[in-house]
Amino acid sequence: MGKIVIEPLSRLEGHGKVTITLDENGKPKDVKLHITALRGFEQFVVGRPAEEVPRIVPRICGICQTAHHLASVKAVDAAWGVEIPEPAKKLRELMHIGNMIHSHALHFYFLAAPDFVLGVDADPAIRNVIGVIDKAPEAAKQAIALRKYGQKIVEAIGGKAIHPVTGIPGGQAKQLKEEERDELLKDADQMIEYAKNGIELIKQINEQYMEQIKTLGVIDTWYLGLVKGGKHNFYDDTLRFLSPDGKEKVDFKPAEYLDYIGEHVVSHNYVKYPFYKKAGYPDGIYRVGPLAMLNVCDSMETPLAEEYRKEFFDIFGFPANQSLAYHHARLIELVEACEKAKILLEDNDITSDDIKAEVEPKAGNGVGVVYAPRGVLIHNYETDENGIVVKANMIVATTHNVPTMEKAIQQAAQEIFK
Amino acid sequence: MITLAVKVGMIQLCSCSGCHVSLLDLHDKLLEVLPNLEIVYAPIIADPKEIPEGIDVFLVEGGIRNEHDEHLIHEIREKSKIVIAWGSCAAFGGIPGLANLYTKEEILNTVYSTDSTENKGEIPSEEVPPLEEYVKPISDFVKVDYVIPGCPPTPEMIASAIVALLNGEEPKLPTKIVCDECPRKKENVFPEKFKRTYEGKPDPEKCLFEQGYTCLGFATRAGCGAKCPSAGVPCRGCFGKTDKSLDLGANAANVLANAGEAALEIPDKVALLNRFTLPAALINRKVK
Repeated sequence: MGKIVIEPLSRLEGHGKVTITLDENGKPKDVKLHITALRGFEQFVVGRPAEEVPRIVPRICGICQTAHHLASVKAVDAAWGVEIPEPAKKLRELMHIGNMIHSHALHFYFLAAPDFVLGVDADPAIRNVIGVIDKAPEAAKQAIALRKYGQKIVEAIGGKAIHPVTGIPGGQAKQLKEEERDELLKDADQMIEYAKNGIELIKQINEQYMEQIKTLGVIDTWYLGLVKGGKHNFYDDTLRFLSPDGKEKVDFKPAEYLDYIGEHVVSHNYVKYPFYKKAGYPDGIYRVGPLAMLNVCDSMETPLAEEYRKEFFDIFGFPANQSLAYHHARLIELVEACEKAKILLEDNDITSDDIKAEVEPKAGNGVGVVYAPRGVLIHNYETDENGIVVKANMIVATTHNVPTMEKAIQQAAQEIFK
Repeated sequence: MITLAVKVGMIQLCSCSGCHVSLLDLHDKLLEVLPNLEIVYAPIIADPKEIPEGIDVFLVEGGIRNEHDEHLIHEIREKSKIVIAWGSCAAFGGIPGLANLYTKEEILNTVYSTDSTENKGEIPSEEVPPLEEYVKPISDFVKVDYVIPGCPPTPEMIASAIVALLNGEEPKLPTKIVCDECPRKKENVFPEKFKRTYEGKPDPEKCLFEQGYTCLGFATRAGCGAKCPSAGVPCRGCFGKTDKSLDLGANAANVLANAGEAALEIPDKVALLNRFTLPAALINRKVK
């Protein structure tokens, strides 16, 4: 009997380790994923005026801060019963799309691509983004341009590229100026082109690594995503579960999440294990993120991305259950995000000054949901009559995925030690 | 003159990785900065698992929340010539430091008994590092050579600190306050009443504090370019205090106290005045 500890898990934004316990024959007997950090946001937002919370929770994640900012302000709007003006909704959606572009480019080119561009057997000392810059400078240049574009959108609307600040109960604190809009719009087509190049790159990678894609981390799970009128949506509307066989779809509204999602505490992980309540724990564990988003939707929201979605399922089958197909799915979403940015920038409402409704704090309970770059993100606050938070619950994107990541790592370990 | 690549380590302790992302937000300029750095340890972007000996500069993002963080900061100090508190979490505890308004037990009990939790009250304990009683800045444990404040520090600020160190110079921090960078017009009037940020629409030209919003620019170190007040929302103090002041919260309270009764009505004063700096404040936790 022996034990292998992989720590720290690298090229991811949080803290984790994997322990593999081996039996007498050197085969993995027990494989566990441990998320080793706990900060306690659900406790320390209590006592804060609710309008301050969207300025606190972005620090849950420095990569998807915008998603936290927006899920949070949506939850406060809901708790206080506010309907925000249409232009403010569009501004928030565009800010969110900026974060999707930034984060998807970061995730693929900076965090995942080193394995594929440099090879899984490359020296760990060079298997990183600097290695990618050396080996594939053109792809790296386009990745940097996409990230820059996404962050520029977030900064123009949110005030800051990291930890934006303009979402306030009732709407937005900052209007987008026409010259800022023009500046962003002039690069929109170029970004769509760069994102399309990403699809060509992932298709080459898929061909090269198809054997690993078809064997490592292939698991059957439920899927959870966000749709609007059945279409893929980054920002709003309806949560949808899809069964592992792809036959059953369950739609519900964010405010009903407690009827559908439970969390199970396990002793070896600071992260709780979410599950689909009707299937129970552990049968109801599910995946979120790009793979789940593509699986649950009926179609993409924009034309190019929709073509790519169809091609994706021709390659992987439906529902796609290969964890390594996440990268391809993510790049399809990157195309959609770039297309959607252009649509929103061309909308006259985007520079409107009708961006803030009058608000009165009150006792209430509100849920805010967006699709963060790693998956569905849920913020839920209860406030007292002065609008002070008295109770909070958050299920963040990566949390949903932890049980299934563990399952995928277990499956991969069995394959690798075979 | 830059001759050799400098061996650099980077880590995220109790924080969000936003400081790392801010470094990446140098965008095209990354291509100029990176070749001068030999990144020998950085779990967020690179695979080496062990912290090697002989690191020239270690950028530490995040404060100390658990026993593993504490272990790592000592190892980092032993293996590095220069240790930088990178961002407000490492320097002052940052937003996660708001946890110091509660005990460790309260945090654990709340997180593991939320409405969506099925088996409420079980607390993870296997292969996860135990929490310390309170969040602390890294300077409570080891000597820190330089501080780059901000939540996050701006890309330019990080780059200029790195370039200064490459050239054997001391990184320089701004000594002024956010108000000095803020484009809003001041009329030197003191608010008689304070507003919460959802109240009304602030005049886009005038000082937010003078309009009654609890902007903390007057107590906060410059360097951000007054981004928040420029975007129509009050400063929350994310760059921390200036060198001349002892305690951001105490300084700010002193100014607000001039409003008398009105200041007493500001909600949640303790977390407003110490939003990013509680673990480094004179009173650094909830006192029962």
